[in-house]
Parts: sequence; structure tokens; C-alpha cells
Amino acid sequence: MRVISKEDFAEFVNALIKDKSLNVIGVKAKGDKFAFGPLESASELRLDYDVTLLPPKKYFFPQRETLVTYDVTTGFAVPKAEEVKPLVIIGVHPYDIVALLHMDEIFKETKSDPYYFEKRNASIIIGINIQNMSKYCFAPQMGCAVIDYGYDLMLTDLGNRYAINIGHAKGEELLNKYAKNVTTALARDIQLVGQKKREILNMSKQKFDFSPELIPELLSKTYEKSGFWEKHSEKCLACGSCVLVCPTCYCFDVKDSTDLSLERGERIRTWDGCLLEDFAKIASGENFRPTRPTRYRHRYFKKGKYLYDRFGFISCVGCGRCSSNCLPDIANPVKLFNDMYHETKSLGVEITPAAEPSVEIQTEGNIDYVPKLATIVKKVSMTANETLFEIKLDDGSELGHKPGQFVEVSVFGIGEAPISVSSSPTKKGTFELCVRKLGNVTTKLHTLKEGDKVGIRGPFGNGFDYEFLKGKDLLFVAGGLGIAPLRSLFNYVLDNREKYGRVILLYGCKEPRELLFSEEMLALAKRDDVEFKPTVNWCPENEVWTGNIGVITTLIPQVSFDPESTYAVVCGPPIMYKFVIHDLKDRNLPDDHIILSLERRMKCGVGKCGHCQINQIYVCKDGPVFNYSKIKGVPEAL
Amino acid sequence: MAKPKVAFFDFAGCEGDQLQVANLEEELLDLLGQVEVVSFREVMKEHSDNYDIAFIEGSCTRLQDEERLKQIRKTAKLVVAIGSCATIGGINSLRNDKDLDDVRKTVYGEDARLFDSYAARPIDAVIPVDAYVHGCPITKDEFLSVVKSLLLGKKPDIPTYPVCVECKKNENVCAFERGQYCVGPVTRAGCNSCCVNEGTICWGCRGLVDNPNENSEKEVLIKYGLTVDDAINKFKLYFGWQERKR
Ligand SMILES: Cc1cc2nc3c(=O)[nH]c(=O)nc-3n(C[C@H](O)[C@H](O)[C@H](O)COP(=O)(O)OP(=O)(O)OC[C@H]3O[C@@H](n4cnc5c(N)ncnc54)[C@H](O)[C@@H]3O)c2cc1C
Ligand code: SF4
Ligand code: SF4
Ligand code: SF4
Ligand code: SF4
Ligand code: SF4
Ligand code: FES
Repeated sequence: MRVISKEDFAEFVNALIKDKSLNVIGVKAKGDKFAFGPLESASELRLDYDVTLLPPKKYFFPQRETLVTYDVTTGFAVPKAEEVKPLVIIGVHPYDIVALLHMDEIFKETKSDPYYFEKRNASIIIGINIQNMSKYCFAPQMGCAVIDYGYDLMLTDLGNRYAINIGHAKGEELLNKYAKNVTTALARDIQLVGQKKREILNMSKQKFDFSPELIPELLSKTYEKSGFWEKHSEKCLACGSCVLVCPTCYCFDVKDSTDLSLERGERIRTWDGCLLEDFAKIASGENFRPTRPTRYRHRYFKKGKYLYDRFGFISCVGCGRCSSNCLPDIANPVKLFNDMYHETKSLGVEITPAAEPSVEIQTEGNIDYVPKLATIVKKVSMTANETLFEIKLDDGSELGHKPGQFVEVSVFGIGEAPISVSSSPTKKGTFELCVRKLGNVTTKLHTLKEGDKVGIRGPFGNGFDYEFLKGKDLLFVAGGLGIAPLRSLFNYVLDNREKYGRVILLYGCKEPRELLFSEEMLALAKRDDVEFKPTVNWCPENEVWTGNIGVITTLIPQVSFDPESTYAVVCGPPIMYKFVIHDLKDRNLPDDHIILSLERRMKCGVGKCGHCQINQIYVCKDGPVFNYSKIKGVPEAL
Repeated sequence: MAKPKVAFFDFAGCEGDQLQVANLEEELLDLLGQVEVVSFREVMKEHSDNYDIAFIEGSCTRLQDEERLKQIRKTAKLVVAIGSCATIGGINSLRNDKDLDDVRKTVYGEDARLFDSYAARPIDAVIPVDAYVHGCPITKDEFLSVVKSLLLGKKPDIPTYPVCVECKKNENVCAFERGQYCVGPVTRAGCNSCCVNEGTICWGCRGLVDNPNENSEKEVLIKYGLTVDDAINKFKLYFGWQERKR
């Protein structure tokens, strides 16, 4: 431990500011509140602050950030890098440091977010132990009020001097280079720091009536508690303040913005939040969390359970910002969890800490947000609203997808949308996308012509395990556009017909004119190594239909299959799954013989933006293909 | 593709929004490269009845206006309401609460009888509207962004969330913490919380979000010290027509 007088510390800060190769940030007053901002002089620093309006994550994950630039003539590119100056942030409280460590984990899982780490890796964090605690802060209870890791330097105010803990070589170098008269701490000061830290642990005015360890378990007992979430969220304004100010919230939206030429522009990511109305809404109008109680609940689950199950930590550091920013005062985690605890207790339910989750976080390489340029080589209209696009990557490479994976398709000036690859990997040189015209991207895509350019990212997602399925009997159940992802597997199986057992396809749509891939279907009907049964919900009088009439489940009793050897592969509109699964189970098909492909709102496609999340699962990354036995117990999945 | 023809129309409003468009200057020149303005009283004398996109400013305040609006709808492929008066009824609907005869007398004096006036309403209360440029007055940026979207064949990106979202991102000290009263929590965002950024409050000029929690917002206003009447008046300034419809 070192010690520096306050005068010398001010000199140190001023020396940092003078060095124009650094970007020096500190806590300053803003009205009656405090905020991190660029420092012009050490005298602006307010290290006695209680809490800042926004946490320091804004420097690594800014409110608005360009991910990609595009130009209709040259394609997509990484934005011209502004020079990243090392960022020195002075006066970060321990809870905000822990929050940054959480963000690091989240932004590096599976693949690293280069935009975040470019800035984060170039940062130097100078923390300060809390002198004044906001009345909503409960960092001590979350174990985030005093820490001995995560910082480069950590200050403790000792009256006329600061004690300095060195956490990292970067911090020490900074001291050596810019500070004068730094001395080694004497036993008295070391003791004083210890005493200050103990005082901090007792500063909080917020109290849990139970051990916060129990939070994950408490939550799982309260998911479906009738009235609980409705009661607590009745006053929710859906204003998103609680998530926007949170140091561990990381959800984002991605949007395209064009300049007036309409030919050039940027793809921008901005902060988003799960409390906002459209967060989980998809183009068909379906909203997976349509009401305030469901969104309000999601936030608490996300913090207290989903991320715990995925990463092994409760994703709340107790800064209290959510509580102080919620005007109707319903976002205070301490109040809510205390209520939850007492209500659960009063029912006589025993609550013991949940088993430690098994965390397997792997990380490899960087996320590439820049789409590859590709050309529409063929466009075949299939129905009034669906078109099949055949696409070739301009660099001549293969997409290299597995059946069931998807790509993010970019249309210049409009945006990006996830679309399943509809062709089998056995088809080389090009791949196919079957697209329904619904919203901005998909509608504009339909106006493009053969020869026009699009952007492609991916393939993403896990895809079907076609190796495992070898030798098995396959029962494909497709509803409407659900045929699009299934076709990639189906065609793969047909191209490797001898490696698979029986192949049955049940395919349903609303009416005959909505039938997709009708020519292929006609050819199927003639094959004797495939059993094919189509159905329509109804047939208008002026159309001809000789097949079954009725919803897709009416086909299930019409086929015989051996539950032992058969695997069902199911994809369709969200409403379809429950019914199909029910009827398959009725036919004794074991749960782990049912394989589903799910749809959710998606923005990033790589497990970062939070939009596709169901519990601890990211549909874009852990799915979209799921084994029913693995997700049947997951609320919100089906 | 031929350049889309654009026309501007004004109804009851202050024309402040057309001024904003006229003030676009440089950007307007770029914009003029993409569209052809055939009717715009603010900057030109000529007028044409052949147009693709109609920008309408002002509220509909008289039965006679309805005919003119229907005519515009028939001619234009796209109708865009610009400014609060056109998008949500705006300040004009403040008077809907007062006795209309009184309003007429104040506005037109003794000739009041000659004018026929009714509850002021937004354009979409009379004809279908394809896009909105909210605000009182509108901002250049949003006007341009809506025009760009329309030219690209994209639905303009109008937030469904409230002003607080932008206000938090801008790291403002909340008006309530400064002893002031704000309707940002129920007002549609899109202005980048510009008024609060300047140290004032949100008055609600962009109208209510689609699903506002009005009761909770009123409770908040009262909790922080407004009287019930003042809280109601806060809502009346801009939300008059929308509240009446709800
Ligand atoms: C894994 C997966 C595979 C899909 N495969 C296909 C397919 O093969 N063919 C097809 O026609 N459609 C498919 N969809 C649905 C398709 O992604 C949406 O219809 C599309 O995103 C709508 O975008 P939009 O811009 O036209 O609509 P808008 O309403 O303008 O949507 C704006 C943005 O919201 C997000 N979004 C909206 N709806 C959805 C949605 N349903 N799913 C995910 N994100 C959404 C997207 O980021 C989209 O760009 C798939 C969705 C998922 C999740
Ligand atoms: S801050 Fe409060 S009112 Fe706003 S979304 Fe969060 S819980 Fe709802
Ligand atoms: S949930 Fe609230 S208290 Fe916890 S870290 Fe986020 S803002 Fe802070
Ligand atoms: S989903 Fe989680 S990280 Fe995303 S906004 Fe909600 S609480 Fe924050
Ligand atoms: S000042 Fe108004 S808009 Fe901003 S956060 Fe407060 S209530 Fe919301
Ligand atoms: S802050 Fe409120 S009053 Fe000001 S422009 Fe935005 S919506 Fe209108
Ligand atoms: S996390 Fe962004 S789409 Fe799944």
C-alpha cells in the first residue's frame, strides 16, 4: 500500500490531464448529482460523491455506437477507427468495478465483442472507496462494496492523504510516471484503511431480511405466483429507467441510418432495455413479453437467476441506481426480494440455496459485425408473400452452414434480419433463403432483383445434429414458413437417403395458395422412399385441393411410426408447438425424440443483444434448434 | 425512378413546422435532389395539384377542412402529418374543453357566427395517415429521417417508448429531482429529450406513447407535490385529443 498527500494527488491528476495522449475521466458534479466526465482540472473531481447518474460502462459500451458503415457501391466496412486513447477513469466505486467485470464476462462469452474490448483493454481504472453511500445502495449486501481486485489503483480517503492499493502493473506504472512523493504506507494507515472498509460495510440503509444467496432459488419459486408480479408492476411506466441506468445491463438495439444520398450510411447500436414495450416483439406482431408484469418480471429474473445460471453470478452489484431512478418507486430490488421472501415464507415453503450452477463459458475469436457482400443470383416467387432467393457470396467462399442454421441478411439502408438457410449444405456454390414479406427488411428484400447486392453474416446458431440422426426414422412436422429451416435438413437427408431410416413429412399451411415449394412437394408425392402428407386449414371454393383439410395435428393420427426409432423435427408458428408436442407425446414419442426450431426477436445473432433470450438461453446462439426434453421445463420457451 | 413530387399543406397551426423545413437550407438542397417540391407556400408561389407525398401541418378544426383533407388523400400516395397539431391535435385541442362558442367569440369577435368551428383534431381523425413527424415544432433531423425512410420504402422509425429513455441516455438530472414536474414518462420519445437536455421539462409535445400508464404518471406528479387539478392540466396541454379518444 502507498500513500500520497491530497496536494500531490491533485498534481498527479493534473499531470495526467496534461498528457494529451491520455483521455482522463473523473467524477464531477452535475447539478445536485454526479457524473463521470472529461476532466479539465483536478479541482473538478468530486471523490466524495454518493453515486453517479450513469455508470462508467458508457465509455466501453456507449449509448450510441457505429458498428458498420456501408456504401451501396463498395459494400460494408468497419467504421474508420478513431484513435483509441488510453482512458484513465478516476473515482470508480467498487460496485461499478465489479459491474465492469460482469460486463467483461458477458461481452466475451463465446465470441468477444471487439468494440467493447478495444476500449476496455485500453482503460486504466482508479477506484475509490465509498465515502458517502446513496440511500438506495446495498452494495455491501451484494459483496460489492469493498473489493481487492478489478482495479489498477484503489484510493481510500484518509483526511489529508489518500492510501493507494495497487491492483495491477498498469496502475503502478502510472504512479511512477506521473506522481510525486508517493510513500509506502505505514502500519497506522494500513489499519485505518481496514477500519474504513469495515465502516463501509455498515453504511447501507437498505437491508435484506434474508441472505441474498437465496435469491436465485426464491425467484424460481415465484415465477408463476399468481398476482405477485401484477401487484408489484401495476405502476410501471415501462420507461426503462431502471435498466438504462444499471451498470450490468447490456442489451442493445441495432438500427441502420442513411445519409441523404440514400446510398451511404451507418449501422448503429444503441442501449435498449427489456422493460420497453417492443423489446421482444417480432414482425408478425407476436410479442413474447407483451405485458408490463412479464417484462418487469424478466428484469428481476435476468439479474437474479438467468445470468446466475449462465455465468454463476447474480448480476446486480447493489448500486441502487434502479431504485433511485424509478419514479413510482417499484424498482428497488431489496424491497421486492424482501416481499418475495416474506410471501414465500408465509406459505411455509422452505428456501435453501440453489445448487451451484455448472458454468461452462468458452470464448474464441471476435464477433464480426460486418456483413459479407453477396449477390442475389436467382429470385423465384413462391406465393403472394414468399419468395425464394438464391444467393452467392461475392468472395466466392461457401457459406459452410449446417442444416437448421440461419444467416443475418442485410439490405442496404434498411437493416438486418435473421433468415434460416433453406437449402441443404450438399448444395454447393450458392444457398437459398425463403423469405416472407412482413416488415422493413423482408419487404425491401422482395423489391430487389437478380444481380442486386445484399449483406450476409453467419451462419449462426447450432443447427440440427444430422450426424446423430443418422440411422433414425425422421418425422418432419412443418407449419407454414416452418418448412424453410426444415427443408435444409430434409434435402440433406434426401441427398444422403441411404444413411437415414424412414422419412415422413407432414406439412400444413392455411390454404392451398400458401403452399411453399409446391413443385418439390409434387415430386415428393411421387417418391416411394418418402411419406409425404400435406394439409390446409381450409380450401376456398375457387381453389382445388385433394389432400387433407384440417390443422397440422390432424395429420399425426394418419401416420404410424415406431416411437423407439423415430425422431420428430418440428418447426412452425409459435402457437403450433404446444399442440403438436401434445399429440406426439400421446403417440408415446419420448420427450428427447422431439426436436424443435424456435423463433424469437433477434438483433445481433451472436448472443449479445439480449433480445432472443428465454431464461438463461440465447435462442440465436444456444438454438434455434432445441431438444424438447431440455427446454420443456423452461418457462416462456413454448 | 422519377423524383417523387412533394406538396405541403397547412391547416390550423402556426406554420412553425413548415418554417423548420424551409430552414433546412443545405440539407434541403440535398433533399431537393431526391424529390421535387411542387407546392410549398412558405418558399414558393407556384402550386400544383399533382403530387405523390403530401405533408400536412395543422389540426382539422372545421367541417369544411375535412373535404380538403379527403381531396389530398385521394391525390397523394403518401400522407405525412407534421407537427403536433397534425399528429395529435396539439395545443389546438386545449380549447376543446372550453365552450366552443366562447372560443369562437374570442378568436373571431362579433363575426363569430360566420365561422363554423368544431373540436380540433389530428389529421388521422379525418383521413388515414401513413407517417408522422411528431413535435412542436418538429426537428429538422426527424423530418429528414422520416423523408429518407419514405424514399427508401421503410417504415419511419418512431419510438414506442417514452422520453425518459432518451433522457437517461443523455444523463440528465431528472426534472422531478429538481423540483419540477415532467410528463416524459408517458410521452413518445424521438426528440432526444431535447427540452430536458436544456434544463427544462418535457411538456409532452410528441403526444402519448401507445400504451401510457396515465394513472401511474398522475400519481407520480401528485406524489411529488402537484395538486390533482394541476396534474390534470399537465395532461391537457398536449394530450387533450388522445385522452378523449382513450
Ligand atoms: C432463427 C430465425 C430464423 C428465421 N427464418 C426465417 C425464414 O427462413 N424466412 C422468413 O421469412 N423469416 C424467418 N424468420 C423471421 C424473420 O427474421 C422476421 O420476419 C424478420 O426479422 C422481420 O424483419 P423485418 O425487418 O422485415 O420486420 P420489422 O418488423 O421491420 O422488424 C425489425 C427488426 O426486428 C427484428 N425482428 C422482427 N421480427 C423478427 C422475428 N420474427 N424474428 C427475429 N427478429 C425479428 C429484426 O431484427 C428485424 O430486422 C426467422 C427468425 C428467426 C429468429
Ligand atoms: S423504472 Fe420503474 S416505472 Fe420505469 S420501467 Fe423500471 S420499474 Fe417500470
Ligand atoms: S439492478 Fe439496480 S441495484 Fe442492481 S446493479 Fe442494476 S441498477 Fe444497480
Ligand atoms: S434483459 Fe437483462 S441486461 Fe437486458 S435490459 Fe433487461 S435486465 Fe438489463
Ligand atoms: S426529466 Fe422527465 S423525461 Fe427525464 S427522466 Fe425525468 S421524468 Fe423522464
Ligand atoms: S422533451 Fe417533451 S416537450 Fe420537449 S420536444 Fe421532446 S416531447 Fe416535446
Ligand atoms: S442475443 Fe442478440 S439475437 Fe440473440
